[in-house]
Formats: sequence, C-alpha cells, structure tokens
Amino acid sequence: MSSPTVSHKPWQSGDHEKNTAVSTKVEGRGLTRGQRRTVTFYLFISPWLLGFIFLTTIPMLLGFLTSFTNYEGLSIANLRFVGLTNYVRAFTADPEVGFSLGRTLLWGLFNLPTWLILSFAMALILNQNVRGQGFFRTLYYLPSVVPVVAAITAWKVILDKNAGWLNGIIDLFIPGTAIGWLSDYAMPGMTMIAVWTGLGTAMVIFLAGLQNIPDELVEAARIDGANSFQIFRYITLPLMTPVIFLQLVMGLIGVFQQLNLPLVLTQVGISTGAVPPRQIYLYMIHVYRQIFISSRWGYGIALLWLLFIGVFVLTLIVFWTEKYWVYSDRPEEGR
Amino acid sequence: MDYALRARLAKRFYRFLSYTLLIGVAIIIIMPLAAMATTSIKQMSEYNVWPINILPRVPQWSNYAAVFEMAPYLKVALRTAALGIIVTIIVTASSSLIGFAFARYPVKGSKPLFFIVVGLMIIPYIVVLIPQFVMYSRLHLTNTYWPWIFGAVAGNSFYIFLFRQFFLSFPRELEDAAEVDGAGPFRIFWQIFLPNAKPVIAAVMIFAFSYIWGDYMTPLILLNDDKTLLSVKIATSYSNPQGVWLITIALAANLIYMLPLVIVFFLAQKHILKGVVTSGLKG
Repeated sequence: MSSPTVSHKPWQSGDHEKNTAVSTKVEGRGLTRGQRRTVTFYLFISPWLLGFIFLTTIPMLLGFLTSFTNYEGLSIANLRFVGLTNYVRAFTADPEVGFSLGRTLLWGLFNLPTWLILSFAMALILNQNVRGQGFFRTLYYLPSVVPVVAAITAWKVILDKNAGWLNGIIDLFIPGTAIGWLSDYAMPGMTMIAVWTGLGTAMVIFLAGLQNIPDELVEAARIDGANSFQIFRYITLPLMTPVIFLQLVMGLIGVFQQLNLPLVLTQVGISTGAVPPRQIYLYMIHVYRQIFISSRWGYGIALLWLLFIGVFVLTLIVFWTEKYWVYSDRPEEGR
Repeated sequence: MDYALRARLAKRFYRFLSYTLLIGVAIIIIMPLAAMATTSIKQMSEYNVWPINILPRVPQWSNYAAVFEMAPYLKVALRTAALGIIVTIIVTASSSLIGFAFARYPVKGSKPLFFIVVGLMIIPYIVVLIPQFVMYSRLHLTNTYWPWIFGAVAGNSFYIFLFRQFFLSFPRELEDAAEVDGAGPFRIFWQIFLPNAKPVIAAVMIFAFSYIWGDYMTPLILLNDDKTLLSVKIATSYSNPQGVWLITIALAANLIYMLPLVIVFFLAQKHILKGVVTSGLKG
C-alpha cells in the first residue's frame, strides 16, 4: 500500500521536528520539547505496540516454531521437534493441499472478476444522473451489514436443491431443474453469496472515486469531440486504476484466506464437524480441518505459513505490475 | 439517419440498459431477504412444497416464539451485546488515542511504525488468529472473554487508520493555542480533538460493534458452547429431536439477529459509508 504523502500540508509532517531545533530546555524533567513529544508519542501508542508484540509477533513466532513440531494441541509432554517434516509433507505426501489450492484459485477466478466488474459497473451507472440514486446505493450496500450466518441462512432458501427459489425460477423455463447449488455446484453458489455480500462496499468506494474525477476534464474532452466510450476509455478508466488496484489487492488477499463462507455454509444447520462439499474444499478449509478436526497443529500451522508466504509473494507481484497499468500523479523517474 | 437522432437513440438505449441493470441487481439483492422473511413464517412442511409458495398459506407467527423457546436466545444475545459494547468502548478509546499520536506526533519512528499498522491489515486474519489460539490455550485463556479485551486494548489497524486520517486535517494552531494555555497532550486529545471527531467515532463504534455481533470464526475457535456468542449459537441451534434442521425457525432467529445492525445502518448510513470510503480511497 503506498503510504500517503502528506508533506504538502505544513502542519502534517516534518514541521514538528523542525521545532526541536529551536526548542529550549524546559523546566522539570529537563527534556527538550522534541524529547517530550517523542515520549508522548510512544506513551500513547504503547497499547498498540504491546499488542503488536504480544498478540501478533510472539504468537506468530510461536506458531512458526510449532510448525517444526508434532504438536497435537493438548499436552506438550509428547512434543517433538520434527524438522521440516511438516513442510515436506505438504508438498509430497498430502494430495489435498494441491487439490484445495486448485479450488482456491478457481474460487478467485469465479469470485474476483464477477465482484469487481459488477460493482464497478453499478458504480458507473449510479454516477450518471439516474433517478433513485440514493435508494439504489442504500439497497446495494444493505447486504454488507448482514452478518455472515444470517446471509448464508437466507441464501440457503434460494439455493436449496429441492425447494430453492433459484431452481424454482429456472424450473419455469426448464422443467425438472434440480441443480445442487450447495453441493455439486457449490462454487457458483458460493460466488453468488460472496458477490451479494461484497458488492456494496466496493461499489461505494468506486462511486466515491468516480465523484473525485474533475468535471472539467470530462467537459474538456466532450468539447474536443470525444464520445462517451472514449471518455470512459481515456479518462474515467485510467483515473480509476488506483482505486481498482487497491480493491484488487484486498480482494486477492481475501480470496486466499477465505474460510468464513465455506465453513459457515457447511456448519449452519448441520454440525460443526461437517465436511464441506468437494467443490468448495478451499485451502483454508483444509488447514482448519487439519488443526481442529485432526489435531495436527504443527502441520496445520506449517500450511498457514506456506499460505502467508504465498500471499505475500503474490502481493509483491501485483505491486510490481502497478507501474504498468495504474495511473499515478507522482512524477515518474527516468523519463 | 442524421447524427442528432442517432445520438438521441443511443442515449435512450443506454438509459434503458442502465435502468434494466439497476432494477435487475436490486431484485437479486432483495430476493434472499424477501425469501428469508416469507419463509420465516412458513410451516416446516410447507418449506419443501413444489412448486414453491412465495407467501405462506397460513402465516406461522409461532415460529418467532419458538426462536426463544428452542434456544437460550435472549441470554446469549444479552451476553453478546454486553461483550460487544465493552469491546467497542475500549477499542474506540484506544484506537482514537493511537490514531491521534500517529497524526499529530511525527517523531522519529512514527512513520515505519505506521507502515506496520497498515501492513497488518493485509496479513490474513486467520494466520494470526490460529497461533493466538495456541497461545491462549497454553495460558488457559480459551473459553474466557479476555482475548477480546486484549485485542480491544491494542486497538485495530483499520480504526487507527480512520482516526489518523481524520486527525491529520486538523489545523496546527488549535494544538498550539492549547499548549500555550498549558494543556498537556492528553488534555489536548480529550478536550479538543475527540469532541470534534464525532463522525469518525460514530463510524468506528458501529464497525466495531457490528464486527463482534457478526463474527463467527473467533467465538467458534475460542469459546465452548456454554459461553459462546449469538452467531455460533444461532448457526448450531434449531434442530428437532430427530436432528432435522428447522430452517423456518432458524430464519426467524436470523431476522431478529440481523435487525439491530440493519436499523443502525439506516440511522447512521452517512457515517458508515464515509468510513468505508476513507478505507478504500486513501490506502
């Protein structure tokens, strides 16, 4: 994520430090103004700093160490250091890793483009002078505030194989339809739920981005004889690439850590131990089952670390592509 | 055909297409919610009737009574609300103070630390949650609410970010004048910055409470059934003695469960959407 540059506003950055040069020793503890400011800063952020150390760094390091052991989640009496066994196992002895990773990639292929394109299209339409703009915006965002358990229970009524509304609608045209949107076709089924849930957030962000595009730019192009498509292609789209980029990055990370949807989809109304259908046996589901069902903690956390590294590398790659397609108003070097 | 006519026709067609899409998507958005509402007052035997009855033959309002009879709904709801409120207050207080420090004290180290704050947002949550669970279970803190409290005290990257962005725009003079008057940093934060941050406070409090209320993964992993929160309770209740899930009653339960969040959304829509936009545009 590119760190926001704020230096053009004098009170925002750099200014305070300059004051330290002219500050004098203050009575009391004998600290300069700059030193006092440093103390204040670290005092105020100390809750976060402690949390970062004890709730993020240390658990992750412990997790990292655990991934080299045979830890089973209960006693540490039998704890043994097993070297790279868990990692080797992931690559050689567990075909489910490859399978679930494949399902996850397919999930991204289904979910990401559908979600991005649909939310961008709806933002484009709502950015026009349409009637009921506020109404539609509110309505489209509404699913985002519905908790995941409620959303999935509601969608079960739509996607049910034998009594679902979707099959009921298709049945009007193709009698005898009984598609298993929650079993054999769970991937498109889950995509519908994910897009329904996520459409509003992305659309609201895209809409705000569109409203930031200066009207003069569009007007000038129109006077120069550009048609609507050209304005979209050469003005709107390029100026929106930074927003699209950020959504893409966050969406990509979301794809790989997707556990909530397939898990809740499997557990709601069934049991917390139920196995998800093969269609949506995603990587994180495999990890979850290793840890909480099979008690293979060491192995499960090794899988988590592999995921973390994979997502990190992927994010770096996406950031590397940034310079080829994302518009930037910062001056480019070497041109 | 002359140019003006063609342009007008194209515009007409485009408008038609726009409204078709708008209404089409609106129907898709409404359908699960409508299905939820009508099915929640159906008899279980009517759920499987084919072709589907959109509206129930005889509305079963007793389904809503069954929500409270078949599970300790009220008890778990109150527990979840209490935890949600406590956590919301703590996390809003800590995140606002931390965000204030990052916005107004650009001392040595603040930039790299803020980079970490933002960077943590892209670490998959589950990658941290599961190692945390290992730690909490070794400390015998699973099946307690302490993990929520600890997490709240440490603040949340997203909320810290929102507060920082907001506090950045305050004029420097405000602070200077107070400092000349002898106000310490905490008083400046408490008496000048915080009272002027009501829109962000509202947004963060709504985000925080909605998150606790809707979160499924954390209570599933950290709590046993006797202490669990509403999301897990609802997902695992409402089966008859034969083990058949009574989806009609579950739907009624879920409607009651989501109602507070929907009401808050309609009341505070402006603040919520502003918060969403800040997170999505200024990253």
